[in-house]
Parts: sequence; structure tokens; C-alpha cells
Amino acid sequence: MTTYPGAGGPTVYDPMTLPVDDNVNKYTFCVELKGSQWFLQKGKMIAYYGSMEFNGVGHGRLDRLVRTSFHSPLHASDWVVAEGSGKMLLADRAFDVNSYDLEDGNLTIRSGNLLAFQPSLALKQSIVPGFLTLIGTGKFVAASNGPVVFMEPPIRVDPQALVGWADCPSPCHHYDHGYMTGLLGGLRAMTGIGGASGEEHQFEFVGAGTVLLQSSETLMAEQATGVVPHEPGVPGGGGVPTGPSQQAGAPRLPGQLGDLQRRFGL
Amino acid sequence: MFRLQGSKVLAVDMTGDAVKAKNGSMVAYDGQMAFKKMTGGGEGIRGMVTRRLTGEQMTVMEVRGQGTCWFADRASEINLVSLQGDKLYVESSNLLATDAGLRTGTTFTGLRGASQGNGLFTTTVEGHGQAAIMSDGPAVVLRVSRQYPLTVDPGAYIAHQGNLNQSFQSGVTFRTLFGEGGGEAFQIRFEGDGLVYVQPSERNTIAGDV
Repeated sequence: MTTYPGAGGPTVYDPMTLPVDDNVNKYTFCVELKGSQWFLQKGKMIAYYGSMEFNGVGHGRLDRLVRTSFHSPLHASDWVVAEGSGKMLLADRAFDVNSYDLEDGNLTIRSGNLLAFQPSLALKQSIVPGFLTLIGTGKFVAASNGPVVFMEPPIRVDPQALVGWADCPSPCHHYDHGYMTGLLGGLRAMTGIGGASGEEHQFEFVGAGTVLLQSSETLMAEQATGVVPHEPGVPGGGGVPTGPSQQAGAPRLPGQLGDLQRRFGL
Repeated sequence: MFRLQGSKVLAVDMTGDAVKAKNGSMVAYDGQMAFKKMTGGGEGIRGMVTRRLTGEQMTVMEVRGQGTCWFADRASEINLVSLQGDKLYVESSNLLATDAGLRTGTTFTGLRGASQGNGLFTTTVEGHGQAAIMSDGPAVVLRVSRQYPLTVDPGAYIAHQGNLNQSFQSGVTFRTLFGEGGGEAFQIRFEGDGLVYVQPSERNTIAGDV
């Protein structure tokens, strides 16, 4: 066996020296499979040793697994299940990747940031549009633009820097109203003329838990989280309630049938 | 003598010898340096015609002198490769600099090139000396040996060296047509004895979303 120079040059990895379920460097994560399974986002595997199979979540044989740990059937096409034995490297567009352990906990994360998770965790769509929630015990891998910082609530964070949150149930919007009230304030907020800092809107977290922030305001491309059922009361569901009170705000154009149309179910 | 200054700048110390580098990648130098554009990558008329025909275009300059010369290209991560008589296969767009004593050429890659979306041909570097290759994010170097073959995503592959056989694996099944494919429809399998360089990022390939 020829030996290629390792000394002085870059570190050369082989299946023996690759870490087990840990980072190879800041941008690459190694997962070991021993006949076990991992869920991963499509196309994030960059290389593997051993024998592995990648199957779309729609694969019939995986039905039982999907039923227990995958609860957003409508974005199933973005996820695959890796199974087999060997070591697999994961990376995402040269972003920082990190693994996190959940112990009987819950964590909500921006959909574009989640890379992979163990099937012992259950993945669900969050009520907050564009976010996914992981519940249970296990490991997951997430990408971020720059290292992740952990913060304790109460805290207000910039919407673009938010990666996710764990255990705190109260994410809400916060506006700097003092600055934005009145006609001039409104104009300022809309046009930026007269000095808007661009930080008038934040997300607010209170209660016990942890908030995860990335150290940059560049968002990762959003992954579809799937469509939520068309039902009244479901945020982002598009199921606009048809009660007259909700319609009051929409201006009625001349020539439209208006209420008559709705009464006849058109 | 090649060395890295940080991870994105290559410093080359020269004492009257020469290096070949990607055209325009010099960022600074001290001492005396002469820069000469090498027509056709310094591979002669035959090499020039081959490169034109295969689309593996490479504009190379020769830097000769006394002192230190620094190279960088679009803040890409730089990885050093040392060659002891073996052959390095790399995409011309990922090659930053080589010792002047190394021979460069083009070779047919077959289906792998097609699946990567960067042509059917690749650049080879052989001889004794050092080369610097670029990647999007620091490259991970993986050893392939008889008992440990390696499978790589075409979008993350940047280079390999040694005696490796590559074969093309397709995971396209009837499910791919329904949009339920495994997401890793095309893979390259390396067998034999050598090193493979992968980057923590994927180029857009034709199979990107399959």
C-alpha cells in the first residue's frame, strides 16, 4: 500500500480516523451508521465510506419509520432516509455546521437550517410558518451562516439572525412603536427617509429556554415546510375564513358580485 | 516552496525557480519577479489545441524570480497537494498553482465529468513537486484503500490523486420520476489506492435536485 504524505500537508482521513457523529472541520460533519437510519435533507451528503442506501421518504418500506418520526407529509420530497453501515460526510454550501443533542426536549428551527436528524426525534411543522419543530431525544445537525450563539430569554432578536429556539413557547413580534407612530413615523418606516435604523422590528422571547442566533444576518435559503391544512384558524394555511367580518377590510371593486357571490358559494 | 498564509492565501518562496499559476491570481510579491503569460497553459501547440477542443481552458502565467510571491483567487480556500511521481486529477477551474517542473495535461473523464456539469475532460498534473488547488470551504482529504472504497457526490468532488478507478453509480429509479428519488441520484465510486479531495459545498449539477 502506497502511503501519501500526510505530514506537513492537510490531514488525511480514512474510515478509522474520521470522527464518530462529530465535526470533521467547521463545515463538515461525519455521521456513523451501523445499520441505523438518519433523516437528511436531499443533496447534503458529500461522500461516504461503506455501503449505504438513500431513499426518498415516500419509499414504501420506510412507511413505519416515517409514520413515527416524520410529521409533515407534504414536504416529504425534500427529505431522504440514509441507511446502511459506514461513515457519511454532510455539508451545506460551505456554511458552518454543528450538531445538537436534545434530551426529551423540543426545539424549533428555521426550515433551511436543518440538515439531518436521528429518527428518534420527531420532525413536525411548526405553527410559525417557515419553521420546523423537533421533539424527543436524539441528535440533529444544523447549518448556520457563521457560528451559532446561545441566548437566554427575555431577549429581542433580529428576524434575520434567528436560527431557532428551544423550550420557550412565546415567540412574538415586537415593534418600536414610539418611533413609528404618527404620520411622519409611518413615512419614515416605509421609505427610510429621515433615518430608519432598519431595526424597528424584532422577535421577542420570554420565559425559560434558549434562543439560537447566527452571527450574520444573511438568511439561508428557505426550504419548503409543506402546506398546512386548509382550515380556519391555521396560520399560513391560506384557509381564509369567509365570514363577512374578515372581508370588511378588502375594498370591493365595482362589478363584483360581493356578498351575493359568496352566498351562492361561488 | 509552497506554504499557506491563512487558509486563503498561498505564499511561494522562490530562489530563481518558477511556478505556473492561474492568470491574474498574484496578489502581492516582494523581491524580483517576472510574470509571463503562457499561451495554451505552457503545453505547446498540441496542448493548446486539445484544451480548446475539450473546453478545459486554462489561462496560466509563469512566475519566475527571487523572493516571495502571494497568490489568491476570489477568497477560495486553498489546499496544498504534494506529488511524488503520481498523478493529480483536478478541474482546471480549481487549479491555482503548480511547480514549474510538474507536467499538466488533459484527460477524458467520461460520465463523471458529465454528471458534475463541468465537461467530459479534466486537467492532470504529474511529476514531483507541489500544487495548490482551490475549493469552496476547506477540502476534506479522504484516503481510499483496497478495503475502503469511497463514494462521492459529483458536486462536492474537486480532485483526486493516486491509482484510483472511478466508476459511475446511478441511483435513478422509477421513483425519481415521481420526485421521490433519494436525492443522490448520481455518485462516483472510487476504488484502489489514493486520496480524494471533497469540498463542503455542492456545485449545481444536472442531477442537483433529482
